[in-house]
Amino acid sequence: MRNRSLLVVVFLLGCVGNTDRQFIQNKGSDTLVNVAQSWSENYVGVDGSVVVAVSGGGSGTGISAMINGTVDIANSSRAMRSEEKEAAQANGIDPVEHTVGFDALAIYLHLNNPLKAVSFAQLGSIYGDGGNFDNWSQLGIEVPGCSSGEIVRVSRQNNSGTYAYFQEAVLGGGKDFRLGSMDMNGSSEVVDLVASTPCGIGYSGLAYATEEVFMPCVRVDEGSDCVLPSVETAIDGSYPIARPLFMYTAGQPEGQVGAYLGWILGEMGQCILFGKGYAPVTPVVCS
Amino acid sequence: MFGSTQLNRRNHSVQKLVSILFGVVTCLLVVPVLTIMTVLVYKGGPNISFEFLFSAPTNGMTAGGIFPALLGTIWLVVVALIFSVPLGVATAVYLSEYASDTWLTRLINLAIINLAGVPSIVHALFGLGAFVIFAGFGTSILAASLTLGIMTLPVVIVATRESLQAVPPEFRMACWGMGATRWQTIRKVVLPNAMSGILTGVILEVSRTAGETAPIMFTGAAFFLPFLPQGILDQTMAMSLHLFVVSTQVPGVPETLPYSVALVLVSMVLIMNAASIVLRAYVRGQKKW
Repeated sequence: MRNRSLLVVVFLLGCVGNTDRQFIQNKGSDTLVNVAQSWSENYVGVDGSVVVAVSGGGSGTGISAMINGTVDIANSSRAMRSEEKEAAQANGIDPVEHTVGFDALAIYLHLNNPLKAVSFAQLGSIYGDGGNFDNWSQLGIEVPGCSSGEIVRVSRQNNSGTYAYFQEAVLGGGKDFRLGSMDMNGSSEVVDLVASTPCGIGYSGLAYATEEVFMPCVRVDEGSDCVLPSVETAIDGSYPIARPLFMYTAGQPEGQVGAYLGWILGEMGQCILFGKGYAPVTPVVCS
Repeated sequence: MFGSTQLNRRNHSVQKLVSILFGVVTCLLVVPVLTIMTVLVYKGGPNISFEFLFSAPTNGMTAGGIFPALLGTIWLVVVALIFSVPLGVATAVYLSEYASDTWLTRLINLAIINLAGVPSIVHALFGLGAFVIFAGFGTSILAASLTLGIMTLPVVIVATRESLQAVPPEFRMACWGMGATRWQTIRKVVLPNAMSGILTGVILEVSRTAGETAPIMFTGAAFFLPFLPQGILDQTMAMSLHLFVVSTQVPGVPETLPYSVALVLVSMVLIMNAASIVLRAYVRGQKKW
């Protein structure tokens, strides 16, 4: 009996001691989590001594972890707010921002929905506080399969960077969301729900598009061009709701973290990002 | 002379009705379990192979296997058991064998009952604050397993205490009568006789530990790790979180993949439960009373 417990202790100690690999903690944005996962998966072939542990949870989760000092790289689909930067500095952490790509925020509709174009004003009336669009007939359309005609608004949980960016860019600064939307915990969930809900409308990163949903073109106001969401229109800046994607490091990245970020911003990292449906920071030629 | 009266007959038919009604309700209870298992086996079964169980996820987690998650769950459960079983059994032995009925022991009992009622997400936050940040373990198997261990401690304590109390007091008295000390009595008489109940508690703990997602999400489980964990200070992937991730977070996952992950998770728990039932029956067979 005594021998056995001794063995367990020795085994545990042996496990604690065995850490010749460098860990990089990477956490945050659900928008970025799948490309972050792909980066981590592919980085094994570049430097086998570095392990990148990827977690999601939302941009707010990543930024909180950066403030608490529990991550090396925080992913975020929105910029850190000034009070968040101050909170980090109060803990002795100086967050440094790196733009790693751009994301077009697409509006998702059910395949039955005949709406081909949508304007910021219409989106504001659907999603914004004080808006009065509750029925698809108010947009002059009728959706087959949606017998009630009611607009089912699909949104995101409030620590999501996508939520914050949509609020800022589409609803306009300071304006709140209307209550009564269905708030999903992930980008992929929004798309899945809209795909199975004829009355539904949702917003999520373009990278989450599937064959089962329709994406209308978006215009800023009635006079401007209606632009379809795509990687190309996000790169050339013509698509009105494209946003930068960030990675934050504690101080200027050095050592393994610096090498990893350099690789992400290099050709291979940017091509992986492009392959996932995001726009690269610099033009790259990918096979 | 004893022919049935009208009242008798009415009572009899009510009795019959109640027994049929309750029987149907009992059968209905089995329906969800069977439905879940059938759907899991039907949709997830064909995908399961040796390769699925023993290879890492590839291609942005849409293909490949689940080995890192499978191994991670085993790590989490084993380390949680190493901490919580000795602690839980010791607590139960103290409460059942040593402590007298004072306000302090009543307070401890109350605390244990309340600990069992704390939602797992609250345990998760406690684990994040206490083990990850304050104790400085970082997000690691150690922090996650300690959180899981604390969460499941009441299960072990309550099961152990009940099985200790089920050992007839005459056994102890006979032992004391032979001049044995309290500890000798506990070690040689009470614990061996209570073993089957303690095992039940441990197995219940294993099932719960393997299935929990919230407590490990903040404390030690990762969305994706390109390597297998090497020690208790590493992070790990876990089956429950992996199931959440492939069902809701990753676009383009084949429809059958989440079902296969779920089937493996359920099977792990069922196999452990079955093993415990066999072991318990064996231990109980050794009892001399």
